[in-house]
Amino acid sequence: MPLTVNSVKKWWLISGLVLVALVVCAAQAALYLLPLDLKDRSPVQPVAFSHKAHAGDHAIPCLYCHRYAQKSPVAGIPALSDCRACHQFIAPEAPEVKKLMGYWDKKEPIPWVRVHRVPDHVYFPHMMHLRAGLECGTCHGEVAAMERLSRVASLKMGWCLECHRERKASIDCWTCHI
Amino acid sequence: MKRRTFLQIGTMSAAAALVSGCQSANEKLIPFLIPPDEGITPGRATYYASSCRCCAAGCGILVRVSEGRAKKIEGNPEHPVNRGRLCARGQASLQELYHPDRIKKPLKRSGPRGSGQFSEISWSEALALLTGELKALKREGQSDRLALLTPQLRGSLETLATGFMRSFGSAQHLSYELLGPDWLRAASRRSFGEPSLPWYDLAETRYLLSFGAEFVESHLSPVHYGNAFGRMRQGRDTVRGHFTYVGPRLSLTGASADRWLAARPGSEGALALGMARVILEEALYHPEALAASGVGAAGLLSRLKGYDLPRVARLTGLAEQAIAEVAREFATTGPALAMAGETAAFQSNGAEAVRAVQLLNLLAGNLNRPGGIYPDRGAPQGPERSFEELLALVEALRAGRVRVALIKGNPVHSVPPATGFQEALSRVPFIVSFSTLLDDTALMADLVLPDNAALESWGDAIPLAGGREPVLGLMQPVVAQLYDTRQFGDVLLAAASELGGALAAALPYPSYLELLKKETLGKVAAPGAADADSLWNELLRRGGHFAAPASARMGEAKGSAAAQSAAGKSGAKGERNRESGGKSYRWASGAPLPEPGEPRFAGSEKEFPLHLQVYPSTAFNDGRGAALPWLQQLPDPMSTAVWDSWLEINPKTAKALGVGHGDLVQVTSPRGSLRLPAVVYPGIRPDVVAIPLGQGHRGGGRYAKGRGVNPLELLVAQLDGAPPAPCWNATRVRLARVSAEGGLVTAGHPEGSYRSDLIEI
Repeated sequence: MPLTVNSVKKWWLISGLVLVALVVCAAQAALYLLPLDLKDRSPVQPVAFSHKAHAGDHAIPCLYCHRYAQKSPVAGIPALSDCRACHQFIAPEAPEVKKLMGYWDKKEPIPWVRVHRVPDHVYFPHMMHLRAGLECGTCHGEVAAMERLSRVASLKMGWCLECHRERKASIDCWTCHI
Repeated sequence: MKRRTFLQIGTMSAAAALVSGCQSANEKLIPFLIPPDEGITPGRATYYASSCRCCAAGCGILVRVSEGRAKKIEGNPEHPVNRGRLCARGQASLQELYHPDRIKKPLKRSGPRGSGQFSEISWSEALALLTGELKALKREGQSDRLALLTPQLRGSLETLATGFMRSFGSAQHLSYELLGPDWLRAASRRSFGEPSLPWYDLAETRYLLSFGAEFVESHLSPVHYGNAFGRMRQGRDTVRGHFTYVGPRLSLTGASADRWLAARPGSEGALALGMARVILEEALYHPEALAASGVGAAGLLSRLKGYDLPRVARLTGLAEQAIAEVAREFATTGPALAMAGETAAFQSNGAEAVRAVQLLNLLAGNLNRPGGIYPDRGAPQGPERSFEELLALVEALRAGRVRVALIKGNPVHSVPPATGFQEALSRVPFIVSFSTLLDDTALMADLVLPDNAALESWGDAIPLAGGREPVLGLMQPVVAQLYDTRQFGDVLLAAASELGGALAAALPYPSYLELLKKETLGKVAAPGAADADSLWNELLRRGGHFAAPASARMGEAKGSAAAQSAAGKSGAKGERNRESGGKSYRWASGAPLPEPGEPRFAGSEKEFPLHLQVYPSTAFNDGRGAALPWLQQLPDPMSTAVWDSWLEINPKTAKALGVGHGDLVQVTSPRGSLRLPAVVYPGIRPDVVAIPLGQGHRGGGRYAKGRGVNPLELLVAQLDGAPPAPCWNATRVRLARVSAEGGLVTAGHPEGSYRSDLIEI
């Protein structure tokens, strides 16, 4: 039946559309107001890298691989050649290490899925936080116990401010939003 | 469909869209495969000093490089030409590096010429092809049948190009640019006996008179003069310099003026001489300056008898009172200076009009004086007759006296077709292009040897007329090469070494970098200086060799201004000489009086009632910026038009012709016709229409190709019976309205977004 327009049906249509608009607005408001967190906290990675094995069981310091954290805003993730340098000799037969070598043979970097991210309008420098004496775990949690990396902090502005207030760090807008 | 189903589906799809839109997937983190060993720290930027080669001004730039990629270009604060400023073209040159249509490997033509069909070949094959052709010329004793076409080169590249051609045995090296300052050098040679370009001390002047010199947009060194203009207006506590603009159209420069004299096209010279006559008659001239140049005031006045106020007013279409007022202000407000620009120079009487402006400067005592005009010592020599050389080359091409043409640049687009260049070039059996994109010239080529992008290149940039002191800017690669390309200089050197003999002996350099290093250190290094390598590194770190830091020079300028006023207005000439390093302007003895004569135009006034003015676009200059999407997106500062070409027309004329804003019009000259949208613009004389240069490319990548029209197609190359002179503003046109569908896009108008596909890169 084609959609005919008589007075009753027209009112039905209009009220229906208004309802849709209201639902859309309400949902957007909810997303804005509620502390919803839709990002995956512990995404599956292309290679099942275990922080527990590296940082926990073998006690490799964080900065051994994330070597730029002390001098750059970004901590950096190790180049594939760095992974390979060790795994040529250590556990070369493990299935995940073979996967790693597969990437090397194809000359492709591993497309890691990002776990920790602040928005572009936030300037977050790793080196300043390390210089202030913070441990990596303060924000990143007990990584040495994680089989698959999982985000423990919300990384929202309130969470940043809480810590800045507690430690008497600057809470001026321009400190982070430059 | 039932209403209920429609609503249900509608609600569900809206909700689904909402949820999926918000749940953006986690980003990817891509590490290096192998970390670069140059000490790159991810997240930390490195800044390299280099030089801009988007126009002849040669500004210094700083490039921010992060993780091995060039991210942002800004001006180099230490560079005396631009002092940290940079224009839009310089900023956008970043996109030359990342242009998606860059030529990635040497190309060999595989289809018919002009079809754009090429196949990729290796460099060894490409060089073998090139040297094979050159060897054949040598073998058959026809080495004079090689032609090299370049822009107007300076510095090491000029040394290399002229050395190559001389040693090869051919004199056919053409350095031509449509907007090259040949006209200014030639006029200076006739008036002052030397071809050096003027450097205007704009910042210190009190009265500026510009005869069609668009110094904010394109004239000589726009960033330098734009900055100096700001200081002239606001840089001094008590003085705000006055600016009068003469020209038929309000350019951005003209719109910055206090007073606009919309003189009739081609009457600028008569106006200058009329003002000169007023100054002489009322004895407002500078007697010492005239005496120093050996010019007698009485004799001069008697020879300017023909330029009485009523006649000049009739010639220029201006009020007598306005002319006299400006002349008096100019002569009595010291220091003052008058500039002559392309708008006036590209008329049939342009060469003499420029000299009339020089005479005006002499009368008011503006030469060699703070706030006045000095000779530029940076590039004292340069091409003066390249337009005649172009016509001679066209003759040679037509007569089959060229077998191999090597072309750097894009002359197929930027030379007016009326010269016959494009048609004549197609007769050359073997054409080699060094373009980075498949531009109009590369499309004609048989072999394309892609050059590096500027940010991947070594080089030097000798700024044109950007200061009193010589400046040597250096270019260095700031990123690793993206593709398998080679620098123009390296290709010439490779060909020279392959050809051997005198050529290899004259150019015994393993690479262009070695040549550049030797040339630069030869100019800069004091004898017995510290070791060359550390000096070279220091030069690269600073971006070149500047005589003194900007602050010190400022002090010197102030000091010399004080000395000048202490010595009185006369300022002994010997002192001036010492101050400017032994070089100053002096009216050459026996230099003839400027005699502009009646302007002549192509096309009869009856058939073609309007004057056509073409002007360099703020975004593209003569067309070399058209390939870059940032510049395509840049609105014209006066009309806010974006993307395509347009024609500016006075509201009165538009009304008479029934043309509305945005209408499609057909503009017809004696040579051809074009269709483009009209911009109704009150800042233009009713008898003039204007079209910006730079669009209408057949090639040049996806952003330039097929966009707008090239107004050069309308121009007449040479007026009948006149000596060869570039008179690009001396063509008459007529106009007819075609339809209301002009497709004009202006910034701020909602339609402006309809081509947003171009924004992506």
